[in-house]
Order: sequence, then structure tokens, then C-alpha cells
Amino acid sequence: MSADESVGSNFRVLVVDDDPDMLSILERLIHAEGMRAETVADGDAALVRALAAPPDLILLDVLLPGLDGFALCERLKAEPATAMVPIVLVTALEDHDSRVRGIRAGADDFLSKPVRREELLARVQTLRRLHETRRELEARRLAAEVEHKKSLLRALARYLSPKLAERVIEEMAEEGTPFRRGPQRVNVVALFADLRGFTRLTERTEVDGVVALLNEYFAVMTEAAYRHEGTIFSMAGDNLLVGFNVPFPQPDAPARAWRAAHDMAKSVAPVLARWTARGGLATGIGFGMASGEAIFGNVGSPHYMSYTIIGDAVNIAARLVDMAQPGELLASGAVIGALGETGARPRGRLALRGRGEPVDVYAVTL
Amino acid sequence: MNKDAYKVVVARDLEDLIPVFMSNRQKELGNLRIALAAADFDQLRQLGHRMKGVGHSYGFDLVSTLGKHIEDGARTGDRAGLEARIAEYADYLAKVTIAYE
Repeated sequence: MSADESVGSNFRVLVVDDDPDMLSILERLIHAEGMRAETVADGDAALVRALAAPPDLILLDVLLPGLDGFALCERLKAEPATAMVPIVLVTALEDHDSRVRGIRAGADDFLSKPVRREELLARVQTLRRLHETRRELEARRLAAEVEHKKSLLRALARYLSPKLAERVIEEMAEEGTPFRRGPQRVNVVALFADLRGFTRLTERTEVDGVVALLNEYFAVMTEAAYRHEGTIFSMAGDNLLVGFNVPFPQPDAPARAWRAAHDMAKSVAPVLARWTARGGLATGIGFGMASGEAIFGNVGSPHYMSYTIIGDAVNIAARLVDMAQPGELLASGAVIGALGETGARPRGRLALRGRGEPVDVYAVTL
Repeated sequence: MNKDAYKVVVARDLEDLIPVFMSNRQKELGNLRIALAAADFDQLRQLGHRMKGVGHSYGFDLVSTLGKHIEDGARTGDRAGLEARIAEYADYLAKVTIAYE
């Protein structure tokens, strides 16, 4: 079987006629051309059949029991599933008004009864080619759309966490604009990481070199955060804010954040060792972690928005990272309570700057 | 009627459809007679319309021609003309010979 015949055998023609002899001959002629023919003898059944499994072409008689050919044609052309299916009205009606009615109903072509074999086949083949060309163009359009989304995702993923970038693409497809949802209140685990000693290091390094160092540092840190499906909300200077259980639910958020901090410290250690060897200055990472309610969403002005998390948990984590020594993780009691046995040492109930209530703090060396 | 008018050539690949086709024409003839007796011109018009569409499609040109006359005659209520056409149809169906090519 040739490739063309193979395509033809998949081409489905729905033949609708209440005359059994017309159905038989049309079915026979369609089969002889290597196409599949399905026959229906009334308008209502044809509507159901066409909508259930849209064919590639419809040969439609006009005078039918149930819905007549004009009404059926109109209905099919109004349905998204069948709007693009070519319809040929096969009719013995010869008057001008019937043709005009057929055109208004959306018919793509006409074939006069009695049917002449050559004419029928020529029209069917032409419409088949047109339909297949249209389908190929549609497939190309869809492929281009998918590629466009992928490239958009690649571009956004440089600025947003991969899952957040996917959500942005989905929101653009569904609502036309991303970030339209209002701020939401959620329980989060906020993890701050801060590079210590970096300021002194930059004083000894050219500008281009500083950017290269930061890129190297953030590449390792973000990869570690993404391995545990954290969402990066802020990358300011040498400071990184990663959120868990936001914007996507993560029932094991405290454990993920805990593992992410350990992973970050382990992954970045060789980088820091290289820097120390090169610059003669020791650097290290301090971590702060807290859990609790926060608001996430767009914060800012109409001119400048930031998609971020704010709230008590974020503030506590920020204070803890300020207090943490290089290679140390300070975590709030709420996080440690959710984790169980961690080996973290209690540092006491500490007063944090800008906060009335003291917070239970635990420390662990990474 | 010219003797050649009773000879019909049908495509070989339609041969197996012809017995059913001819049987349906005989039923059609019966329905035409019943409709004429009842002066049911709407039914006569529909039957004529159907004959017009199906006849030539199978190679039976006269069926289409008679069908058109019957459809037109039913529209104008030409009972005598319809009677003559139906008789002509009966004669045709009795004498038609079919060759397959």
C-alpha cells in the first residue's frame, strides 16, 4: 500500500441519505477510492454520529427524515467539533433558492443527483486534499504554539522558579494575563541564605569578576533549591529567599526546606573553597528558616510589582539569617517542632529586632 | 419506446447492488400506483424526486427521466400524464435488460 493510499484509508466520509440505493452506491464509490464510508439514513442520527466522531467529509442529502439537510448543515457548522468538516450537499433540488439556502447553511460544495461517478470522485478528492492541507496547517500551528510556549517557559525560567513559570504560562493561556489572582494567605516555610564575607571579597575583585562569582554561587544555590522544589522569591545582592508550600501545596514543606538548606550548604562548599583559595578570604553561608502564615502574590505599585511572600514567617527567617554564623542554620521552634528529631541545639527564646514576642530558636551546623 | 431504451449498461463493480436496486424499483412502482389511486400528489412528487436522483446514478437514465416527469406532473396535478408515465415505468421495468462492463 502506498503512503497516499494509507492516508486515504483513514479518511472517513459520512454519507447521509434516506434512499437506501443512494446510500449503497455512494458507499461503494467511496470505498473504491480507498476511503472509509459510514452511512446514516436520517438527519437526527447523522447529527449525533457526526458530533460523537467528527468525520473528514460529509455527503449530505437535503430531503431527509428528522433534521433536513439544510438544518443539519447549519447545526454542524455551528459546532466547534464539526465546523471545519467539509459538507457536500448531494441533492436533486435544482432550483436557485435551494442552492442559495445551501450556501447560507454553510455547505462547502454541491453535487447534483443523479450522481455522476467521475464528478463525485473529483469533488471528494479535491475536498480531501483541502481538508488534509488544512489539518496539516493546523498541526503546524499547534506545533508552533507548543514551541512558542516552550521558548517562553525557557525565558521565564531564568527569572522565576520552573513551576511558577509553568503557572504563568497556564494563566496566560486561560486568562490572557498572568498574575491576575489576588494575594493569598498560606502557611509557608521561608528559607533565607546569605553569603558571608562576600563584601570583602568583592572589594578585591573587578566588576565582571563579581558578577561571575555571584552567578556561580546562585547557580549552585538555585539548583539545590529546585531539587527540593522550592520557589525562589528573591535574589538580592548575595541574599536568597526560597519559599516552600507556596505557591503549590507541599505537605512536607518543613522537611523539604530542611533538606534544601543542607543540600545548598553541601553543594556550595566546593565553590566557597575555590574562592578562599583564590582570594585568601574565608566565606560561608548563613541560613535562617521559619514557618507560619504569610501572604503571597503581587506586592508593589502598578509601575513596579514584585511576586513575593510577606509576613511573620518571612520576617523571623530574615532576622535569623542575620544572626546566623557562616555554616550555621538558625530555625524557629515552629519548624523544628514540625520536623521531629533533627539534632538541632536549642539557642533559647530570643527577642528578635522589630518583634514583640520572643521566638524559640534552634541551631545546627551545616 | 425505442428498443435501445430498454438496454442499460452498468459498471461491473456495481453488479451486486443491482438486484436490490431493481427490487426497490418494483416496490416504488407499487407505491406510485397506490399514490395515484389515492390522488396523493405529494407522495407522487416525493417518489418522482427520489427516482430522479437514483436512476442515472446506477446507469438507469430512463428512471431519472420518468422520475422528473412524475415529480413535475405531481406538482401540476396532471393525473392523466402521471398515469401514462407510471404505465411507461411499469413497461420499462418489465423489459429492461442489463449488461455489466
